[in-house]
Amino acid sequence: MTDDTSSTDSANTADRRGGILGALRNPGDYFGSLRRAEQGVLVFVVGLLALLAYGVVSGGLGPAYFTYLVGLVGMYILLTFGLNVQWGYTGLINFSVAAFFGLGAYGTALLTADSSPIAGQFNPLVGLLVGLVLAAIVAVIIGIPTLRLRADYLAIASLGLAEVVRLIVLNEQDLTNGSAGVRAIPGFFEGWPLLETFPQTMPGLEIDTILWETVVLQSSFWQGLLNVALVTVFVAVTFLVLRRAHQSPWGRVLRTIRSDEDLAEALGKDTYAFKMQAFVLGSIIMALAGVFYAHLNLYVSPGDFEPINTFYIWIAVILGGSGSNRGAMLGGFVVIAIREGTRFLGDILPATFPIGLPDMLSIVETTYATIIGNFASTRLLAVGVIIILVMRFRPEGVLPPQHELIWPGTVDSSGTERPERGVRDAKTGDSQ
Amino acid sequence: MSQQYSKPEGANLDKDDVVLEVDGLRKNFGGLVATDDATFQVERGTITGLIGPNGAGKSTLFNLISGFYEPDAGTVTVNGTDVTGAEPHEVSDHGLIRTFQTPRKLEGMTVREAMLVGPRNQTGESFVKVFTDPSTVAAEEEQNLEDAQRILEQFEIDHLATQPATDISGGQLKLVELARAMLAEPEVLLLDEPVAGVNPTLRNTLSEHVRRLHEEGTTILLIEHDMNFVMNLADPVIVLDQGHVLMEGTPDEVQTDDRVINAYLGGGE
Repeated sequence: MTDDTSSTDSANTADRRGGILGALRNPGDYFGSLRRAEQGVLVFVVGLLALLAYGVVSGGLGPAYFTYLVGLVGMYILLTFGLNVQWGYTGLINFSVAAFFGLGAYGTALLTADSSPIAGQFNPLVGLLVGLVLAAIVAVIIGIPTLRLRADYLAIASLGLAEVVRLIVLNEQDLTNGSAGVRAIPGFFEGWPLLETFPQTMPGLEIDTILWETVVLQSSFWQGLLNVALVTVFVAVTFLVLRRAHQSPWGRVLRTIRSDEDLAEALGKDTYAFKMQAFVLGSIIMALAGVFYAHLNLYVSPGDFEPINTFYIWIAVILGGSGSNRGAMLGGFVVIAIREGTRFLGDILPATFPIGLPDMLSIVETTYATIIGNFASTRLLAVGVIIILVMRFRPEGVLPPQHELIWPGTVDSSGTERPERGVRDAKTGDSQ
Repeated sequence: MSQQYSKPEGANLDKDDVVLEVDGLRKNFGGLVATDDATFQVERGTITGLIGPNGAGKSTLFNLISGFYEPDAGTVTVNGTDVTGAEPHEVSDHGLIRTFQTPRKLEGMTVREAMLVGPRNQTGESFVKVFTDPSTVAAEEEQNLEDAQRILEQFEIDHLATQPATDISGGQLKLVELARAMLAEPEVLLLDEPVAGVNPTLRNTLSEHVRRLHEEGTTILLIEHDMNFVMNLADPVIVLDQGHVLMEGTPDEVQTDDRVINAYLGGGE
């Protein structure tokens, strides 16, 4: 399917308008109307979901763990959304994703947990609020001196900030429990009517599958399901907010700043204020992911501030396509697939190279054995390879923004036509 | 006007309706004095040309006026408001919009998206209003889109509206930049070398457009190296040399003035 013909694209647009319902009514047409990259992504995601479903049904993947994984995916998507606002929209280089995530997590943990050294046992809603406000305040404080300077300075300052926050949390034992972390964090729905006891009141279901084993759904599964529902709400609300903001004149100013800050200034836009808004908004979304994590994991520690998490999120944004909300979702999904998937792949694959090779190629066999033997630690290798492949073959990311970002409804009603093809395809000069 | 010294040294400071006034402006870069006590006025409704040999400080002066540089001394007044030392966006709030020597590309936007950045003080530029007042945002966006389309038609580039802004030629980019500046509804438009690197046909087109904008009531201050272009359009012309104003006069007066010729050719008599 090419996207060169306008008829295809208008069908595409129409289906988009029809949304999920349109897709369900006529899946064949919907699939045909997608761009090639979108088709690939759809196949990949559906395939991975099918694999997970198979894992659950066949008993290889515990249902509670499955819900935990889905929760993690949602959390990564939130983090990627946050960085996408800062880097993808505005061009701000923020290397303290883990710090804002950790501020959200600790913000709520210290207020709600029984073992909290300062407050404790507040309603998680209070924790949510405090976590987000804390992140916003820190974002403003770090933004005031750095956002007036060139982009590189924010990168350096944020890298420093991440370490400072981590070291404070590690060393201020009276405030944070230090390296012991904060334990006994309640679930997010503690104190809510009905939902608080939902996991306990649900019956332990035993589902006989036609395949191997019986799947037992216990209260831990129902608890996990609640978490999935929670993160789905978080992701959906964030997505809707960001989509509208992205299409608004506000988002357009951010994209202008990313391309050329002087131009935005010359046209009367207070770029400092816009950059601050984008930085704070992105940081709040990261903190939201942290709040969710605290109530998912029920334990937080200074290890959650490790800079590696920041780089996972960067990879997710670049992989998905900077500036694209859908790309951010894909990126978050893929990073979790790599991070968690590599845990299992080592067990599934045979321990020695499956076919005998001549002695000359023994190096292949030994390398294979090494990789399989240390599969979990080779995930960084996988991440690196993926980044190189993306940069080489699709530098704009897998799902870069495809459509003109003009306030919805105004384009059609003012009598002008929509563009004939994806605006961003031509950005790097090569075809798909 | 064959008298060589018909005009006094410096700029004419007796103008009636002054929209932009620069007084004693000074800027040093280390030991280099880029702008040295520059003083002049721009009268409303004129096309004022600003010429001078390379290194005369024209671009520095533009950056000082539009707020991108902070002056070491002197004042800039736009529409009666002192904007010395203000941020560029504050200067443009007072109706002064500038363009750049090298046209700025907006990656990942279509031409009309790039145009929509132009209008000043859009309601939808407030993050909060985007959610609390979407109907106003939509109405404005619709209006702005119509305006953008109309202005693109006036500049005869409406066929580019849905092209990626990075795909059009350098000359077309200059037109888009001028068109976008008009969406900001400037009272004074500062054009920094609008025809540098532009082919002769497009140069004539640009010339016509600048004249049209002038007739529609926009005051224009113009830096240009292309003498034909400036002398055909501008009146008066201000000559800058080594950071200060050498003289001001009509194109004829400027072209026959010995001081100007000396400044350009760099010799004594």
